[in-house]
Amino acid sequence: MNKPAPQRASPIGFSGETSQSADIDAVFELSACNSLPQLDAAKAKYIGKNGIITLAMKGLSELAIENRKTHGIELNRQRDSVEKTYAARRQVLEHIKQYDSLAAEAIDVTLPGRGRGQGGIHPVMKTWQRVEEIFASIGFDVADGPEIEADWFNFTALNNPPNHPARSMQDTFYVDMNGTDGLPLLLRTHTSPMQVRYARMHAADVMAQGKPIKVIAPGRTYRVDSDATHSPMFHQVEGLWIAEDISFADLKGVYTDFLRRFFETNELQVRFRPSYFPFTEPSAEIDMKFESGPLKGKWLEISGSGQVHPSVVKNFGLDPEKYIGFAFGSGLERLTMLRYGIGDLRLFFEGDLRFLKQFA
Amino acid sequence: MQFSESWLRSFCNPSMTTDELAHALTMAGLEVEEVTPAAPPFTGIVVGEILTREKHPNADRLSVCTVNVGVEAAAPLQIVCGAPNARVGIRIPVALVGAALPPGEDGKPFMIKQAKMRSVESNGMLCSARELGISESHEGLLELATDAPIGANIREYLSLNDSKFLIKLTPNKADCLSVYGVARETHAITGAPLAPEPTGTVKATLTEVLPVKVLAPDLCGRFAGRVIRGVNAKASTPAWMRERLEKSGQRSITALVDISNYVMLEAGRPTHVFDLDKVHGSLEVRWGKKGESLKLLNGNTVELDEKVGVISDARAVESLAGIMGGDSTAVSLDTTNVYVEAAFWHPLAIQGRARRFNFSTDAGHRFERGVDWETIPAHLDRISALILEICGGEAGPIDDQIINVPSRKPVTMRIARAQKVIGVPVAADEMASIFTRLGLKHTLIRRSADEGGENSFIVTPPSYRFDIEIEEDLIEEIARIYGFDNIPALPPVARAAMRAQPEGTRSLHELRAAIAACDYFETINYSFVDKAWEHELLGNADPINLLNPIASQMAVMRSSLIPGLLANVQYNVSHKADRVRVFELGKVFKRDASVTDGPLAVAGITQPLKLAGVAFGGAVAEQWSSQKRIADFYDVKADLAAVLPEGARFVAAEHPLLHPGRSAKIELNHAPIGWIGELHPKHLSRFELSSAPIVFEVDVAPLQQRPLTVHTPVSKQPLVRRDIALVVANSVNSDVLVDSLLNGAPAFVRSVDVFDVYRGAALPEGKKSVAIRVLMQDTERTLADTEIEGACQQMLIKAQEQHGAKLRA
Repeated sequence: MNKPAPQRASPIGFSGETSQSADIDAVFELSACNSLPQLDAAKAKYIGKNGIITLAMKGLSELAIENRKTHGIELNRQRDSVEKTYAARRQVLEHIKQYDSLAAEAIDVTLPGRGRGQGGIHPVMKTWQRVEEIFASIGFDVADGPEIEADWFNFTALNNPPNHPARSMQDTFYVDMNGTDGLPLLLRTHTSPMQVRYARMHAADVMAQGKPIKVIAPGRTYRVDSDATHSPMFHQVEGLWIAEDISFADLKGVYTDFLRRFFETNELQVRFRPSYFPFTEPSAEIDMKFESGPLKGKWLEISGSGQVHPSVVKNFGLDPEKYIGFAFGSGLERLTMLRYGIGDLRLFFEGDLRFLKQFA
Repeated sequence: MQFSESWLRSFCNPSMTTDELAHALTMAGLEVEEVTPAAPPFTGIVVGEILTREKHPNADRLSVCTVNVGVEAAAPLQIVCGAPNARVGIRIPVALVGAALPPGEDGKPFMIKQAKMRSVESNGMLCSARELGISESHEGLLELATDAPIGANIREYLSLNDSKFLIKLTPNKADCLSVYGVARETHAITGAPLAPEPTGTVKATLTEVLPVKVLAPDLCGRFAGRVIRGVNAKASTPAWMRERLEKSGQRSITALVDISNYVMLEAGRPTHVFDLDKVHGSLEVRWGKKGESLKLLNGNTVELDEKVGVISDARAVESLAGIMGGDSTAVSLDTTNVYVEAAFWHPLAIQGRARRFNFSTDAGHRFERGVDWETIPAHLDRISALILEICGGEAGPIDDQIINVPSRKPVTMRIARAQKVIGVPVAADEMASIFTRLGLKHTLIRRSADEGGENSFIVTPPSYRFDIEIEEDLIEEIARIYGFDNIPALPPVARAAMRAQPEGTRSLHELRAAIAACDYFETINYSFVDKAWEHELLGNADPINLLNPIASQMAVMRSSLIPGLLANVQYNVSHKADRVRVFELGKVFKRDASVTDGPLAVAGITQPLKLAGVAFGGAVAEQWSSQKRIADFYDVKADLAAVLPEGARFVAAEHPLLHPGRSAKIELNHAPIGWIGELHPKHLSRFELSSAPIVFEVDVAPLQQRPLTVHTPVSKQPLVRRDIALVVANSVNSDVLVDSLLNGAPAFVRSVDVFDVYRGAALPEGKKSVAIRVLMQDTERTLADTEIEGACQQMLIKAQEQHGAKLRA
């Protein structure tokens, strides 16, 4: 609490002289007030009913006529000045009052927010989605189909007839049902059957409208294999581009670009190495190498690929003389492991929240 | 395929380092998986000969030897040795004082110092093969040939400065299943000269021929063999052959077996050596018969039928054609007379046969991919010459029957087509040079524009190539040898066409994101599950079984995602999580006779995509400002609102997995699309859960439908709200009540919603009070009070009529 300002001389002395300082005293006094009642009292002291300035104004009539006008003007100015000061101080005091009452309502803003949390998407599915988006950006469609598959789609249509040595490249799960061809149904060993299914669904458009077949088919695949680097169930993404002139050089271009977009670095070496798959010819394994990071300098197998074999194009319902193109198949787990630095394949299938929450 | 680098280089020796050679092979399609040194690093080990051996005076198991190491020491060295086979006269590796033996597990070499062993001085160490790191064999000292040069550096003498190449061959590269085949390829890749294939000259001094009848031309295309009498089966395999075999991962067995293996590795030619004295009468090559069986070399007995080829004699089947010989005619150390056979077996007649009997052999592996038929006599001479050289004996003439060998049809490769497929204009003369290096006979046919204008190569593949039948096979050869690295990575030039996700279809990723936003974590569970889950949790008596599951708890295909999610909950709870919310989006599998083969369907099985979730523990994570409360049906029902289409209904229904009073079928247009409910308490213990989680599973297809919004103008008229409390029986479900109020109500009744349900003492037994909010608004005009009251009255009457509802006082 400030002390009230010391009382000064009255605005007009008994001599009838006009004091120049009554309002100055008032401004000091009002500005020093710290509460509204105190402020009102101070205001009354000067311009209230019996205030110093009010009284002086009332005394004007007693003054000599020649002095009345100048004194009157001076007293009016003094009263205005007091009023302005009062208003200004009042605003300040009201602000302070409101602030103080709000300050009492303060909360701890550092406590956690309330309510439900957010879950998260599985890292392999994140990869799946990113792969779709990258290929969609150059016009690839997305397709999926049966996981319990017929022998013909999984093998024979892909130029891999029964007993062919290439069948031993993939250990196949069979189920206790036969297909309409009498052969046991199986769990698809790769997403490649979707090449055949999708192409057969769209062959007519290719021939009638010259539309290319441009599709990726991500999905679950199965092989009889289980250790730290093999899971009996895993995910692949198949890619297929068939048109009149899609070459092996295009495959190199598209897949190299894909890997650089996926890993978001142009400093990625990609090499194509001759290999063998029954359904492509020429066939290539694709290896990649990082130029920096923990895996720097190591060639890593990332995909199988090649120009689609003419027998397979025939099974698409297309003339291999007229239509050529490439296919590839990549492991989504492998891409995910390299992307996020995951060392053990089994983590993907344990459903451990401590693992999954890292990708939320 | 494993072999030593030095063996390969003996045929084709490009001026490249080991690593460069490995890389060149890899980049041509012969993936070198591993290059390992023939021996770990060591120094100071030489050939020595034991001159004397005395028993150690102070140790039973030790002996004291004097060893001649030639110029390496002024006098024979005294060395203490513990090996049982140490004896006078043998030549062995001697580590001299100062030698560094291969590093142990600490990575540091083991240094040999002059030492006293049980107070006898020892100036070095006599070594076993394991101590040199060249074999696991620890059967005592490594006994070298009796003519091993004393004092010679053991690394040079045993060619240990060599590398072992392990090549992962793709099934098409039948021609590279031999060192000579890889050498041919090395020549094609590098251009380094190729030595001629080793052969042998054999003078037939006998006239004897073992009669052979080939009765199955679709099995055997060519059959050749010869008799060799008077062999010494006990002869020892020469060191050079043993070394090459060992570096190829083949253990030396007996001379006759080693020679056969050696020729297989060198030339890719599987042969079979019969003990002639155990063969009865003549041989027959034919398909097997049902009821026949054969005891194989490996001791297994297999049951035969018409699908497997055999060689039989007058009495019994003696060999599984192209795969493995029989036990009864196998050569032994007592064998003196042999019959050596080399044949061409049709790949289709061999493929899959060994796998049927659950084993594989090197011979079968080669024959099912294709083995050259033209070189049969040359290779038979090669093996015969080696037998005569090593085991002695006298040979008969080759009896060679050509029955039905494949023909090699010329294959045309159009130059323009090759360039189009590869995407690079490889020049014609470059192509010609590639064919030449590959040993592919070719002619260039030029045609002018009038004749169709296409220049082509006509190539006749050699008999050792089984992978050249069509144009693409040749294009692949061009691309491979031209070098994939030399083909540019081109951004494709194509007609640009836009492609957009239809707005009326929600993508699977959007669905996942929507449910994840409701605090569920996505998991991926195996599609094959424990049979008990299907039987006991889901009441599915007939799940689809795997014929070859990897484990019994992964034996059947799942018909629901929920049990897997419950196992996820169990796993996390066992790792101290008190609140687990997980979901999965994946396929389930059921038998369904109504499904026929279709573009995306397999007859007899339905395999729809499902979205399922499990919420266990608190409705929200434990936090400072919320009361702890276990998530219940209504919490999860609200989560489902994020993905369910408009118009989905919840109908009370029972499910084997769920609490019978707290479960609902989810329906859309009266068709079931899913389930939601509390896990039946009887299943809690199976998953070791302390409280019942809420689970749901919905078909994905209807969730993806999202009708396009058609805008309706926002009314400017005042909105009227009336709250009505109705007392009805507990059994009246709220949606039915709301439906009856809405049905037939005037169009200005915008919505009818339940906002409170009360059960309590103030109400009669078995009754509840349902508070309902009715919102009314016309698009055009302000509603009159009479209209409003009339509508409410009408609704009340309906509720009364249909559900016996009374207005709560």
